[in-house]
Amino acid sequence: MSERIQQALTAFEKSLDRRLLAALEVCARCGICAESCHVFAAEPDFRNAPAAKAEAVRRFYRRLHDPIGRLFPWWVGAKDLTEADLEELAEIAFGACTLCRRCTMNCPMGVDTALIMRATRAMLTAAGKAPEMLTQLADAAIAREENLEFFREFYIDQIRELERELQEQTGDPDARIPVEKAGAEILYVALSGAHTILPAAVLFHAVGADWTLSMFEAANYGYFLADLQRARAIARRIVDEARRLGVKEIILAECGHAYTVLRWEAPNWFEDFPFRVRSIIEAAAEWIQQGRLPLDPSANPEPVTYHDSCNLGRNGGLLEEPRIILRAVVQDFREMSPNRAENFCCGGGAGLVAVPEWYEKRMRAGRRKVEQIRQTGARIVAASCDNCRLQLGDLNDYYGLGIRVSGLIDLVVNAYLAARRMKATAPAAPVRVSVQELI
Amino acid sequence: MEVKPDLTLDLKGLLCPMPVVKINQAIKNVPIGGVIEAYATDPGVMADIPAWCRSTGNELVTIEKQDKVIRFVVRRLK
Repeated sequence: MSERIQQALTAFEKSLDRRLLAALEVCARCGICAESCHVFAAEPDFRNAPAAKAEAVRRFYRRLHDPIGRLFPWWVGAKDLTEADLEELAEIAFGACTLCRRCTMNCPMGVDTALIMRATRAMLTAAGKAPEMLTQLADAAIAREENLEFFREFYIDQIRELERELQEQTGDPDARIPVEKAGAEILYVALSGAHTILPAAVLFHAVGADWTLSMFEAANYGYFLADLQRARAIARRIVDEARRLGVKEIILAECGHAYTVLRWEAPNWFEDFPFRVRSIIEAAAEWIQQGRLPLDPSANPEPVTYHDSCNLGRNGGLLEEPRIILRAVVQDFREMSPNRAENFCCGGGAGLVAVPEWYEKRMRAGRRKVEQIRQTGARIVAASCDNCRLQLGDLNDYYGLGIRVSGLIDLVVNAYLAARRMKATAPAAPVRVSVQELI
Repeated sequence: MEVKPDLTLDLKGLLCPMPVVKINQAIKNVPIGGVIEAYATDPGVMADIPAWCRSTGNELVTIEKQDKVIRFVVRRLK
C-alpha cells in the first residue's frame, strides 16, 4: 500500500462516526436520489446519481469493514482503494457533488450522501488530492491572520475610502465604518471586497446599530476541503476577534457556507462561544418587520426571483426571511419552482466556482437552474450567497439569460435610499410595511 | 526600477476569489523569476493578493491603488 493510500485511509477512518456509518450502510439502492440531484438532472447518466457517487466510496469501505467484503470481495462488490480510485473520487467528491443535500432530503432512508462526500473530501485533502486552488485560498486566509500587522494598513485604507462612499450615499458626513471597535454590540463579518461591506454599512447606519467591521473575511475554504484543522483555524480568527472586542452578536455577510460554519459548526468547535450568530438577511428581515427601515419598492420595479442558497435555506433554515425582505423591497416578486428547501443547487456550491478546470462541468450542472430561472420570466435573480451569485452570473453569460444577479441586501439598500430621497424631496411619513402584510 | 512584466492581466470587475484564481492560473504560464502585472478593481485584492503571495511563496513586488484601479506585480519564485 502506497504512503498516499495510507494517508487517505487514515483520514477516512478518522471520519467514521455513527452518522457516516449509517449513511454508508443503509442505502437501499432504490435510485430515488437520482431525480433529486441537479448534476443528474442536467446529465442523466447513472454515474451522476448520488447513490452511484457514494458507491465509489462504499466499495473500499466494504473491503475494510464488511466481513464478506474482507474475505470474498467480488461477492459484495468490494475492492481495495488504489491511486486511480483517488483520481476518480476527486472528480466525484469535489467536481460532481456540491454537498447541497437535496438527495438526503428526498431519500426515503435519509441517507446523507453529502456526509459521505465530505468524508471523501477530507480523505483526498489528507492525501494531497484536493484541488490546488481551494487549498491555496484556505492557506491564504490563514496567512492573513499570521501577518495581520502587514495587512491592517492596507485594509484600513480601503475602509476609509468606503466610508467616504457611505457618507455620500447616506448624506451623513458623520457616517462611519468602525473597525476593531471594542465593546460594539455587533461584529459584522463581510467577504473580501466592497460589495458586501458598503450595502451592509448603509443598513447598519439606517437602524443606528452599534457595530464594528471584522478584520477578516467570512469565507472558509478549509470547510470546502473538509479539512477540520484548516476550517477551525480560519473560523478561530473571527471567534477570537469577537471575544477580544466583547461583542454580543456576529452578523455574517450574504454567504452560504460561512453561515453553516459559524452558525452550526463553530459552536461545537470552540468551548467559549458566547455570541449569537445571524446572517445579515435575518437582521434585515427583522428590521423590516419592526418598521425600522423606510422602504420604497418602486426602486426595484423589475420582476425578481429568488434563488435559495442550499446552505442558508435547505440546510440552514432561512427560508422565510428572504421572502419577508423581497415582498417589502421589490414590486414584482416571482417564486421559482421548486423553491425553498426543494430548490435546486445552482451548480457552483462547495467551492466549485473557485476551481477553473471545472468551469464546463459546473455550467452543465447549472442547466436545471437555468430552466427554473427562465420559467419565472424574471429580469433579476436575487441570491443571498456570494458563491451562488458568481455561478448565476456565469450561467447568465454562458446561456444568454439576459438577467442581472443581485444580492438581497443590495435590493434592500436600493429601496431604502429611494425612500430617503422621497422623504427629502416631499416630507411625509416613511413607508412602513406592516408585519401582518409580510407574513 | 520598473519591472518589465512577462504577462499583463486585466482583472477589473472580478470579485473575490476570482482575482486570486486568475493569478494562480496565470502564474503557471510564466517562468520561475517571471513577473505578472495585473489590474483589478475589487478592493479585496489589497488583502487577498499579499496573503496569497505569502502562503504560496511568491513575491509581491508592488501593490498600489490609483483612483479605483489597483495595480499589483507578482514575481514567480516557485
